[in-house]
Amino acid sequence: MNILEVRDLRKYFATQKAVDGISMSIEQGSIFGLLGPNGAGKTTLLRMITGIFYQDSGDIIFNGRKFEPEQDVAQIGYMPEERGLYKKMKIGEQALYLAQLKGLSKSDATAKIKAWFTRLEMDSWWNKKVEDLSKGMSQKLQFVTTVLHEPKLIILDEPFSGLDPVNANLIKDEIFRLAKNGSTIIFSTHRMEQVEEICDHIVLVNKGNKILDGTVSQVKNDFKENVFLIQAQTVAEHLATHLFEVVEHRPDQLLIRLTEGTSSNDVLQYFINKQVMVHGFREKLPSLNEIFIKLVETTPTARQFQNV
Amino acid sequence: MKKTILIIQREYLTRIRKKTFIIGTILLPVLYIAMIFGTGYISNKTKQDLKVGLIDQSGYFTQTLVAQANVADTANKLVLINSTESEFSKVYDSLGYNGYIVIPQNINWKGKLETLSLKTNKTYGMGVTAPITSKLNNIWDEVKNDSLGIDMAKQQIMRSSRLKLKLSNEKNKDADSGIATVIGYVCGFLMYLILLLYGSQVMMGVTEEKTNRIAEVMVSSVKPFQLMLGKIVGIGMVALTQFLIWIACIFIIYNIGRVTGNSEGMMADTLGKIQQVFSSVNIYIVAGCFMFYLLAGFFFYSSLYAAIGSAINEDMREAQSLSFPITMLIIFSIFLLGPTIQNPSSPVAVWASIIPFSSPIVMMARIPFGVPNTVPFWQLGLSMALLVAGFIFTTWFAGKIYRTGILMYGKKPSWKEMIKWAFRK
Repeated sequence: MNILEVRDLRKYFATQKAVDGISMSIEQGSIFGLLGPNGAGKTTLLRMITGIFYQDSGDIIFNGRKFEPEQDVAQIGYMPEERGLYKKMKIGEQALYLAQLKGLSKSDATAKIKAWFTRLEMDSWWNKKVEDLSKGMSQKLQFVTTVLHEPKLIILDEPFSGLDPVNANLIKDEIFRLAKNGSTIIFSTHRMEQVEEICDHIVLVNKGNKILDGTVSQVKNDFKENVFLIQAQTVAEHLATHLFEVVEHRPDQLLIRLTEGTSSNDVLQYFINKQVMVHGFREKLPSLNEIFIKLVETTPTARQFQNV
Repeated sequence: MKKTILIIQREYLTRIRKKTFIIGTILLPVLYIAMIFGTGYISNKTKQDLKVGLIDQSGYFTQTLVAQANVADTANKLVLINSTESEFSKVYDSLGYNGYIVIPQNINWKGKLETLSLKTNKTYGMGVTAPITSKLNNIWDEVKNDSLGIDMAKQQIMRSSRLKLKLSNEKNKDADSGIATVIGYVCGFLMYLILLLYGSQVMMGVTEEKTNRIAEVMVSSVKPFQLMLGKIVGIGMVALTQFLIWIACIFIIYNIGRVTGNSEGMMADTLGKIQQVFSSVNIYIVAGCFMFYLLAGFFFYSSLYAAIGSAINEDMREAQSLSFPITMLIIFSIFLLGPTIQNPSSPVAVWASIIPFSSPIVMMARIPFGVPNTVPFWQLGLSMALLVAGFIFTTWFAGKIYRTGILMYGKKPSWKEMIKWAFRK
């Protein structure tokens, strides 16, 4: 079942068409990556999904019904890129306040907060003020307040920015755990290596339009360039053939691009015939980083102001 | 609704627990009293007493007359000088005189008098000539009486037989316009202070979400309007709490005074006056209307301040320049206070007490003069209705501005832009 469906969503501001007809579906329990360059419209899109903005046109279907912010926000957790908490408020009190605003009862919220704090080793923080925390600590706290009320849909905008590797790993594990327990996670980021690690399905937006939509493996396959990595010791004369062109040649490693019509077996056969000892042979799929740059590079990366 | 109450609770508790709340509760009445008594005290202290030399070329101003005048009126001292003007004008300063007057030789009590000059070497304020003139005229009266042959008895009759007038409101016998004036000023000023102070508190409170960058998180859980309302009501309740504390203190002091006070002394005197106040003015109507206008006026103005608060970005100067028109409206109402109290039934007073911008302050100044007497029921009703409609409108309007302003970082908007936000979807 799709927990969220967005149909032809539009939002125009005075100076630009921030979101210009985006449609996508998000399956329940998946970890969904929302990618795009700066100014692509990601934040605006997310703000419409969380009920902060109203769309100019288009539909948002949440859990099979039309999205009603008043009721549905209780099932959504949102951690915006602009991190912030009330600095002068005590931590425990603030977590309680935010949880109650999402509809949890006081006792329920208190119990859940205690459980989360214990698991993430935040027990001693209860009576401290937010301003006493370091940046990484306050991000951990903000993550907790985002997922405390067990929302069905969790939206994280750059959740790892500013986290050291230990804490980043902690959050990553929590994300996997939450997904396994049935929550759906929308994950917006620029860090492509994280996307490859974590996401099932990705959508790439640019200038208010969707330009990519599919699972990670699908996307990589779509963009594959028939490049193969061969661990073998080769010399120049081995490389003169119509079967492939050389991308990079190192004494013990060869990167080749197969020509049209050549199969991987053809290449293997060729090297075997040449008495070359092949230690390793695998397809090198393009990284999402490369795909991202390729797709976005053709258009100017910086947003220009348009007349709407 | 429940979420709004949660917000109100949080705003209220956060502020009550701060030390600044206690300081403010004590400081404000002290400031207020200092303002009222301080200005009176200072103006008394700055009265100038001049020492003026009198060069009499006419012969009318004798030593006896001048001495008598100085005894009768100790402010400003007149001294008869026995030298010529040209001589005295050179030395009067070093002799300690502030100035001198020359009475010309041809001064004629029967005919037209020309204006004399008080020659000084500094420019004095406008108030100095009047007391000196009246002192001179006292002497001059003696001169005239002597010359006309009016004896002491006749002089006595001339002086004491004067008609006096006092106000007597036939419809409301108990009314005392003196007391009403005082109460009018007190209420008007108090309203002004509270609206200004708490208005700006709301404005600063609203920027809290922006400064802490938690605006987006809050708005993903509650509607912006709920957040704004929660803040306004929360801060309003802090104001109410402070107000009630003051009333409780006054009440306690009053009762202590009543129980322990002697029949003489300042306490009994003050208490007696307060009793009189309560009887001449319908204290319940005054208090009730004050509560209404305080609440309604607060909502009216604080929602506008909230709208401004949502648009600014931590910069105090932005806050000042955007809030200037609103603050001007409140200050303008204070300017109307004087004319209103002088004539509570004048068209200016009536209209200012009905229009929502000025009605909290001006109507409160008029009400002590009598309801339904000076302020007919229809005026009171209309004023209240318009104020309620007014604050509903400003709250709605502010909500629209707040909704956009609170997520906007960076550019400082002008009022024109903010109004555009109000009509965005």
